Amino acid sequence: MKKGISLFVVLVAMAVVAASAQANHQASASAAKGFSCKSTFTLPFVTPLTGGAAFLGQEQMSWASYAVKTLAPKLHLKVKLVGGDTPVEQGATPAQDLAQKYVGDKSVFAILGPSTSGAVAASSATYFAAGIAHLSPSATRTDLTKTVAGVREGTPAFFRDVPGDYIQGPSDANYMIKTLHVKKVVIMDFQEPYSIGLAASVQTVLNAAGVTTIRLSAPNTTTDYSAFVTKVPSDADIVFFPTQKPADAQTFAQQLLEQGKKAKVFGGDGSNDSTQFKVPGSYVSNFAPDITGIAADKALVSGWQKANPGKPVGSFGPPSYGAAQILLNAIHLACVADHGVLKSRRDVLRKVKQVSIKNWILGGTFKWSTKSNDPLNAKFYIFQIQSDGSYKLVG
Amino acid sequence: MDTFIQLTIDALTLGSVYALIALGYTLVYGVLKLLNFAHGDVFMVGTFIGYGVLQLLGGSSSPNVPVWLLIPIITLAAMVGCAILGVVIERFAYRPLRDAPRIAPLISALGVSFFLANSMQLLFGATPRTYNAFNLGNGELYFKGFDIGNVRVPLLRIITIGSAFVLMIALYFLVNKTRTGKAMRATSYDREAAAMMGIDIDKVIRFTFILGSALAGAAGVMFALRVPTTAAIGFVAGLKGFTAAVIGGIGSIPGAMAGGLILGFAESYTQGYVSTKWSDLVVFSILIAFMIFRPQGLLGRADIRKV
Amino acid sequence: MTDSTPHSSETPASGPAVGQDEWVARHAERRLIRGGPLAPMEERLRAVPWWVWLTLFVGVMCLLPAVTASGYVRRVGFDTVLYMMLALGLNVVVGWGGLLDLGYVAFYGLGAYSYALLDSDQFHVHLPAYVAIPVVVVIGAIAGFLLGLPSRRLHGDYLAIVTLFFLQLFQTIATNGDSIFGHNVTGGAFGIFTVKPLHAFGHNLVVQHQGVFAVSYYFVALGFFALIYVALRFVNLSRTGRAWRSLREDPLAAEAMGMPVNALKLMSFAFGAAIAALTGTIFASLSASVLPLTFYFVLLITIYTMVILGGSGSMRGVVLGALVIGPLLELLRDPNKSRIIFYVALIGGLVFAFRRSRRLGIVVAATLAFGFACRAIAGALHHSWIAGSADGGLQHVVSYWLIIPKHLAGWIPPVSYVGVICVALVLTLVHGRLRLVLLPPTLYLAAFVWDNVMLTQPDPARYIVLGLILIALMIIRPNGLLGERRVEIV
Repeated sequence: MKKGISLFVVLVAMAVVAASAQANHQASASAAKGFSCKSTFTLPFVTPLTGGAAFLGQEQMSWASYAVKTLAPKLHLKVKLVGGDTPVEQGATPAQDLAQKYVGDKSVFAILGPSTSGAVAASSATYFAAGIAHLSPSATRTDLTKTVAGVREGTPAFFRDVPGDYIQGPSDANYMIKTLHVKKVVIMDFQEPYSIGLAASVQTVLNAAGVTTIRLSAPNTTTDYSAFVTKVPSDADIVFFPTQKPADAQTFAQQLLEQGKKAKVFGGDGSNDSTQFKVPGSYVSNFAPDITGIAADKALVSGWQKANPGKPVGSFGPPSYGAAQILLNAIHLACVADHGVLKSRRDVLRKVKQVSIKNWILGGTFKWSTKSNDPLNAKFYIFQIQSDGSYKLVG
Repeated sequence: MDTFIQLTIDALTLGSVYALIALGYTLVYGVLKLLNFAHGDVFMVGTFIGYGVLQLLGGSSSPNVPVWLLIPIITLAAMVGCAILGVVIERFAYRPLRDAPRIAPLISALGVSFFLANSMQLLFGATPRTYNAFNLGNGELYFKGFDIGNVRVPLLRIITIGSAFVLMIALYFLVNKTRTGKAMRATSYDREAAAMMGIDIDKVIRFTFILGSALAGAAGVMFALRVPTTAAIGFVAGLKGFTAAVIGGIGSIPGAMAGGLILGFAESYTQGYVSTKWSDLVVFSILIAFMIFRPQGLLGRADIRKV
Repeated sequence: MTDSTPHSSETPASGPAVGQDEWVARHAERRLIRGGPLAPMEERLRAVPWWVWLTLFVGVMCLLPAVTASGYVRRVGFDTVLYMMLALGLNVVVGWGGLLDLGYVAFYGLGAYSYALLDSDQFHVHLPAYVAIPVVVVIGAIAGFLLGLPSRRLHGDYLAIVTLFFLQLFQTIATNGDSIFGHNVTGGAFGIFTVKPLHAFGHNLVVQHQGVFAVSYYFVALGFFALIYVALRFVNLSRTGRAWRSLREDPLAAEAMGMPVNALKLMSFAFGAAIAALTGTIFASLSASVLPLTFYFVLLITIYTMVILGGSGSMRGVVLGALVIGPLLELLRDPNKSRIIFYVALIGGLVFAFRRSRRLGIVVAATLAFGFACRAIAGALHHSWIAGSADGGLQHVVSYWLIIPKHLAGWIPPVSYVGVICVALVLTLVHGRLRLVLLPPTLYLAAFVWDNVMLTQPDPARYIVLGLILIALMIIRPNGLLGERRVEIV
């Protein structure tokens, strides 16, 4: 029995070696001559595909693959989208492993993602050293593109097509102060980087304007917010709820109603989903208007819906489409400039900031800011949920 | 005072769900001396079964059956589904290991837990599913109810707490007043002696798993009626139910009920009065203190090891 | 490593002998001395001393950077070395001490965080490696000792519970440690991301050249691994090692014999924790950051699988386990490689089960025939049902045998997945000819599910494989590949 098992193990080991040899062969194939733009590019998408944040990654992946499928042929490019799973439960290691993998893969010229700010921090230096552009559709931590307190976690090779927390926080807070005239606000965070960053920036602005703020912190695994609802004072005007799960925002708002509290829920861009979060009177902020309302996007949205029946449009997906579009355009520009044979990844990196897209999926024209690797004039839109569940633009 | 009442109601709601999950742990431990780590994931599967049946019956916005019939149907479906799942798990992952060292079924349970959680994610994706009980009957579950002082106790919570108590009473009768229940208790005292007395151990264990998993299924529906569910909630729910069982005394049925309620109260009051941030820490510290100073929990028997 | 069970050339082949426990009898190790051409070679191999094997192994591992310039392979190699170290540490607690420690990765995290606090911008302390590493190891040992203190009186399941809660406790403190009495200690959910690489005498250990993982860290990790292995080897052969083994076999008897059982338990905790903390420092210094969620349940299960697969109690076993599972997990990310592994494992499993008999030939032929038949039927019904394979390579070859539809209807994945599990379970219930008859359809269905359902989402599929390995191991071969059989007399 032992011999059989050892034989079996040897077989598996051989399979392992055979499989990994395949990888090496691929890597050393087209080394020094330059990469022909007619061969297939690999576009990895580094995002959490399993674990607690899997809903984020899977939504983004579906939009990115739709983008690659529809846009790559128009740019005369053959592109293969692959997923790189960085579960939030595993910290920096998957991001760094994947960074090594893609740096070694000669058909990779740009990276979509990483989607989580932690993964960006862990792998940006590697990508920068190898000259690979990486564009994230959702990593909004401020210090990834700006220096905060002397620290900048992102490198010049990092870009993002959504504005950072430094825009969302103040714009939400200012809306609350100037339009809603709040006196007392409860601010929640969920003990993970996205919400902590947003909550902190909102709280700073509110405190500076003299609004009373109460900060509540929920463990990441909380599903039942009843006790938190109880802690919301009956005279609080708004509960700022920067969750990434619209279903939680919905539940929280319902429980507020259940307990007869007058406070309204104010969600960040993570709770923007009209099929899941639709309690009337609540507010949602987002970096784009609802794309189902943008005329230029109609064909796009219906095409995506046909390919993904039954799934809600969501708010994390469209920026991934946009990100893929920008990267594909950058590769296209580099190919044109290099006359069809790319010499290095830095050629693509240099072209990223030259990309500008009219009738962009999130509305208007997309341009880069000259001062940072963020979009130009990015602003946040505030919506209020109407009694029929639709989102109306109010700020 | 209102806060206190509200927190108490929250505590009772939370605690009922924890108690139902804890009962499953305790029943299995009593009979098999096995900590069934997969129990939390059976609970999670129960929430999905309930969701599936709800969608089959038209969804919460336009159900094909009246509300008062809908909820018992989904609960029953979840209970049956989870019972089947529990029996399958027991038959294939635990029974071959019945005479193995104690570490073996424990690790097998860890494997089953992992397998279940990731299988559900593979098959159904990671999007949270909500029952949207808010829409049932135009929000009557949330707005109708009776008042205690200034605090309104909505129908949904009454249903949750009520069903949990009904199930616990039913369990009590099953275990204490029926022959199979007596066989269960005998097996939990001494398995070999019970076998020698002519009790069919396999049947008793299967019955235990059916009971425990059915309770988990019911807990799942009670839970998911109020909050969204994903494939990842099994681990934490299992941990909490487990904590409750241990506090109450693992192996003791009234202990599990008490433990669940105590855990619900501890969590609720800590979040309400102390700090929301450290509530997990407080709960786990209480638990570790219990384990160190009174490992048999509140109502459990001290483990007497015969040499 | 010599085995402690007695060799016997005659073994009762059927039924329990009088006085022998039934479970022991059913799984009794048959150490028949086999004849044949390989026997003298085996005997000579058994006589080779352990340090020769170790040197050979480390030597082969050192050649890895020479064989491939890929930073990815080197990085995976590095991760595997770390896993090997962690598995060795867990082996001390679980395999030697017999203590089910479910909080092990908390010590790993503790080591990583301690190093992060000693060599980062968090408190602006920058200790050189030769100071930081011993300090962290000592911290780890103390923490293990402290965890062991209340656990002395707990056995088995209770110990598992307490250690699991300790893990949860660590997780909670690390996540919320950005406001302990007003001080930002652990960086909270963001973690600490300014950790510096190992440095000594003014030189930093190089992490990467132009983005590609540099070998220096890999060699350092190998060096530490060799160090730990040698140290554990000596401990195992010492009095403490023997005492641990007797404790694991029967704690009551050990106590009756006068062994200081509590002290032994504490030492085993401390040792395991110290090794984990050491591994943590290397990890933290390479990653340049520590995040709380890294040190949680998924990692725990992974290391446990490695230890169980290799055989708890056997140092070589757990190293082997880590060597198999570590790269396997990484390879299963890629659908193409997953497919190769699946088919190799399938064929290997068949060979192992039927062992060059006529039945093997029958089963393989039947499976192939069944597959071709099904595919032909499906193709005849609707040609898009078999038109799905777009990639080249193995998938295209397999698509001549397997049904790979272009579009999968929504109900097919859950139904086929549950179906294959049910059929496989039924297979374990039936015997003889019925089993042979059912096997080919089961294999075909499994291949179908693997290709069409599991490979579309390789990431949860990886973990499903891990869970299945754990369950199957415990049922079929609980002592893993190289472990010793343990028997608990109840």
